[in-house]
Amino acid sequence: MEQMMIILFSAILVDNFVLSKFLGICPFLGVSKNLKTAMGMSAAVVAIMLLASAITWPIQIFLLDPLNIGFLQTLVFILVIAALVQMVETMMKKAMPPLYKALGIYLPLITTNCAVLGVTILNINKAYSFLDAMINSFGAGLGFALALFLFSGVRMRIEKSDIPKALRGLPITLVAASLVSVSFFAFKGLIENIFG
Amino acid sequence: MYVIPVRLSAINDILIPALIMLGAALLLGVLIVIVSNIFKVPRNEKKEALMDALPGANCGGCGFPGCEGYADYLLTPGANTSLCSVGGAECAREIATILGTEAVEPEKKIVVLHCQGTRDHTSPRYEYLGTQSCHSAHNLLGGPGSCTYGCLGFGDCVAACAFDALHIKDGIVHVDREKCTACGQCVKACPKKLLKLLPADATVAVRCSNEWPGARTRKVCNIGCIGCKRCVKECSVEAISMNGSLAVIDQSLCVHCGACVAVCPTKAIAELE
Repeated sequence: MEQMMIILFSAILVDNFVLSKFLGICPFLGVSKNLKTAMGMSAAVVAIMLLASAITWPIQIFLLDPLNIGFLQTLVFILVIAALVQMVETMMKKAMPPLYKALGIYLPLITTNCAVLGVTILNINKAYSFLDAMINSFGAGLGFALALFLFSGVRMRIEKSDIPKALRGLPITLVAASLVSVSFFAFKGLIENIFG
Repeated sequence: MYVIPVRLSAINDILIPALIMLGAALLLGVLIVIVSNIFKVPRNEKKEALMDALPGANCGGCGFPGCEGYADYLLTPGANTSLCSVGGAECAREIATILGTEAVEPEKKIVVLHCQGTRDHTSPRYEYLGTQSCHSAHNLLGGPGSCTYGCLGFGDCVAACAFDALHIKDGIVHVDREKCTACGQCVKACPKKLLKLLPADATVAVRCSNEWPGARTRKVCNIGCIGCKRCVKECSVEAISMNGSLAVIDQSLCVHCGACVAVCPTKAIAELE
């Protein structure tokens, strides 16, 4: 149990995918303009991360490793995740139209997202068990949601502020992103102190 | 000389993995086709025709979330086909043709700012350094301008406008009649409720919203309505009434004679540009 908590909270705070590992920066800057789209994107990322890990972990352990073709990992994972998201999208369109309307436009954006691919590969690299891998993916997704939630708040403040002309738009957004990222370094050592 | 550390075999190390990838890609491709065939969503041709007929601005002026929301509503029997102010009469006709109903001409409207308090006519009360938005300025003692009814000029309406029809000039907002589609988003965005939808054929309006008595209005703005009632007396069709000390024109009665414009001492009643 303690092991699981450590994995979960490390994934959310210490090893936050966006702010500590710098994965998934594109959606982090792209859809954080307002809270609604940010939360829609985050929900889609959590769902896809869980799904992708659930599919890629068995593929690596039961297919790639026994056949000794582990070097095909990246290629196979990208292929599988892209196809998976495509299928989930079509199924959702038919079975759950309201959910499709809420998440639909974000799903194609995630197919080749490095945060999703990153979590699946890290699960294998860290030699997690299947359960641990799922917890890690869930934590990574929540961490992504947290980063987007915080940053959309920051961006709404930026939008209403009087910013020097030269910094308006992307420059001030990048500066703000780096400051938010620095704030997450405060979590280094947190897990060891709580659980250690 | 470069030496390959491990001897690569063309068949075992290149061809087989390549074939595995090819097989996997083919398998997944076929799987996607099968899944998309099973979960096919029946296309609604009527809805697609409606979506083509609608302007696709997604402004929400009709009261539905975007053009798709309005198209969904139109498919219900007895729906109002003339709610799209952006597409206007042409769009209403097209919708009626698709649905096979009688075309209803939508009333053409235009947004008018009920304030003329540019920087020449008003003065600042304090220096506002806060968030550059009308809503926050409005919350700080009604804004930095001398007239607390007047346009703040931070452009909350400009941000709300999807058609680039509003522009800030001399501290108040100006409406570009060519571009305005009367979707009403700016009306909702204005914290002072200064933007109002008027019939497109309106020629005059009381371009002031200050309800203070004349003497007090005069102190803060020299182009505001002072409630002298000269326009009320002058109007031949009794289209003008008083709301406290602010004149109000009933556009449905107005005959566009322009007599009120001529008598207004402060020029608060003005011809619309």
